[in-house]
Amino acid sequence: MKNKKFVYGVMIPTLLHMTVFIIAPIFIGLFISFWNYNPLSSDNSFIGLENFIKLLSDADFWKATKNTFFFVFVTVFLNIGLSLMIAQLISYFKSNKVRSFFRMIFFLPCIAPMVASAVVFNRSIFPTTTGLLNMFIKALGLSPINWLGDQKVIMFSLIAYTIWVDIGYNIILFSAGIDGIPNHIYEAADLDNTSEWRKFTKMTLPLLSRTMQFVVVQTLISHFQMFAQFSVMITKDGPNNSGLVLSRYIYKQAFEYKNMGYASAVSFVLFIIIMIFSLIEHRLNKSDWEY
Amino acid sequence: MNIIKDKRNIRIRVFSFIVLTILTLFFVAPYIWMLLNSFKSTKEILLHPTNILPEEFTIKSYQKVLFDSPFVYWFRNSLIVTVVDTVVILFTSSIIGFVLSKYKFKLNKFCFFLILATMMMPTTAVMIPNFLIISKLGWYDKIISLIVPTFCNAFGIFLCKQFIDDLPKELFESAMLDNASDLKIFYRIVIPAIKPALGSLAIFTFLGIWNDYQTPLIYLNSTKNMTLPLALSFFNSQHLSDLSATMAAAALIMVPSTVVFLIFQKYFIKGIAMTGMK
Repeated sequence: MKNKKFVYGVMIPTLLHMTVFIIAPIFIGLFISFWNYNPLSSDNSFIGLENFIKLLSDADFWKATKNTFFFVFVTVFLNIGLSLMIAQLISYFKSNKVRSFFRMIFFLPCIAPMVASAVVFNRSIFPTTTGLLNMFIKALGLSPINWLGDQKVIMFSLIAYTIWVDIGYNIILFSAGIDGIPNHIYEAADLDNTSEWRKFTKMTLPLLSRTMQFVVVQTLISHFQMFAQFSVMITKDGPNNSGLVLSRYIYKQAFEYKNMGYASAVSFVLFIIIMIFSLIEHRLNKSDWEY
Repeated sequence: MNIIKDKRNIRIRVFSFIVLTILTLFFVAPYIWMLLNSFKSTKEILLHPTNILPEEFTIKSYQKVLFDSPFVYWFRNSLIVTVVDTVVILFTSSIIGFVLSKYKFKLNKFCFFLILATMMMPTTAVMIPNFLIISKLGWYDKIISLIVPTFCNAFGIFLCKQFIDDLPKELFESAMLDNASDLKIFYRIVIPAIKPALGSLAIFTFLGIWNDYQTPLIYLNSTKNMTLPLALSFFNSQHLSDLSATMAAAALIMVPSTVVFLIFQKYFIKGIAMTGMK
């Protein structure tokens, strides 16, 4: 079809909008990372690579980077393992009602605003004396744990919450993947009386590799950007910055200390990390195959 | 042999059922605990933390949230932002997807590449420049800052284009013979044909915007202009000693989206499986 008026009428406003709100920000962000930019100060000067050099010796930045990678890799690893297991267990039921009931339950936490559930965990689940978790632990005869106040524990509390809140998506994606595997593939194995574990590791898992690639990369990318729980569930990034991650560090530098130039340099680092994973995903998406 | 197999199947199902039921309890417990705490008085929670059911059932906390805080404003702001954004995004995604899919023009490939590239843009990495642009436009602390910048949704455009690419040519031929206008083809033929895609796009856009915390945190400042998630974190910091009220506020914010989910459950699940959307 060809109608210039219609095409221009749609595409010109689109490109304008995208330029202002999507493309310009990328360049502005890179641009100010070379400046000593503080919106409150009158002395904003070009400092070249100084922000990036400062990063190298910034202990908080390295701590945030380390925490971010630890958080992302542990969470994603556990998330994938658990969601795969749950999806597989769900697939054993024949009745659609039972299947969708369980999928619905695990998906519930994904629906609510993360801030709301983070507040609930912060005030009602994790507190040392009144929290539900410690009540449960005490009932088992164990000693209570300071979930959000102990710098050795805090990251694991954040990881546990994040798995609770985000696992539903992956369960549904894996469920769809498992349901998409044609039944006849298992028939030969059933005749041989192959064990369920063998069927899962030797047949289901390899056939899920496309879903797996997609899920792993998507989850990695989204977890590098997690923010709400780090700013709502823990106070001041935890003792000794033990809960500080890059997204929080950018926010703190930019909007609490107003060091926007420096914060842009940190943003750039996070941007590069995420871009690397996006490009990997893009590569993987190119390989196509069928059963 | 069949008997052995059937026995094994039953054993597996019983095992799955037990494991999933235990996990279900873990997944639901925080919700139930939130609701129970919201109906207790804060005094009771602190004095008798091990009480499961409220000793004295009270809705005072809910009254406190609804009437002593600008909850109505927060709800209104959230509703305006979410509804306007969702409607506009559905329109722009489908019409831009249509143009990119069915029209030949010079920059078509370039535009599509641009949209794909922006899909990868991590929002966290551009929060500072976005903030600067919003301030320059004079939109700081106004809810328009949450509305206008989201109008073009790269994922929505991509999804609609994929769906329109798959529509058969014949669908358009009769309309072309009738010399129907482009807009007419768009809303008479394209829109009805891609309804399933629009349905899931609507659900996810709605939820994404309704639940967003980071953008309002950066763009909004005064209490009355806040949207619900931001308002909740503010309310929480204002009521650190009043646990019950905070739980009531959290419940009030969680309940609407949970109800929407329970009603449209089927479409959600299909939508995720179909689009891989997050």
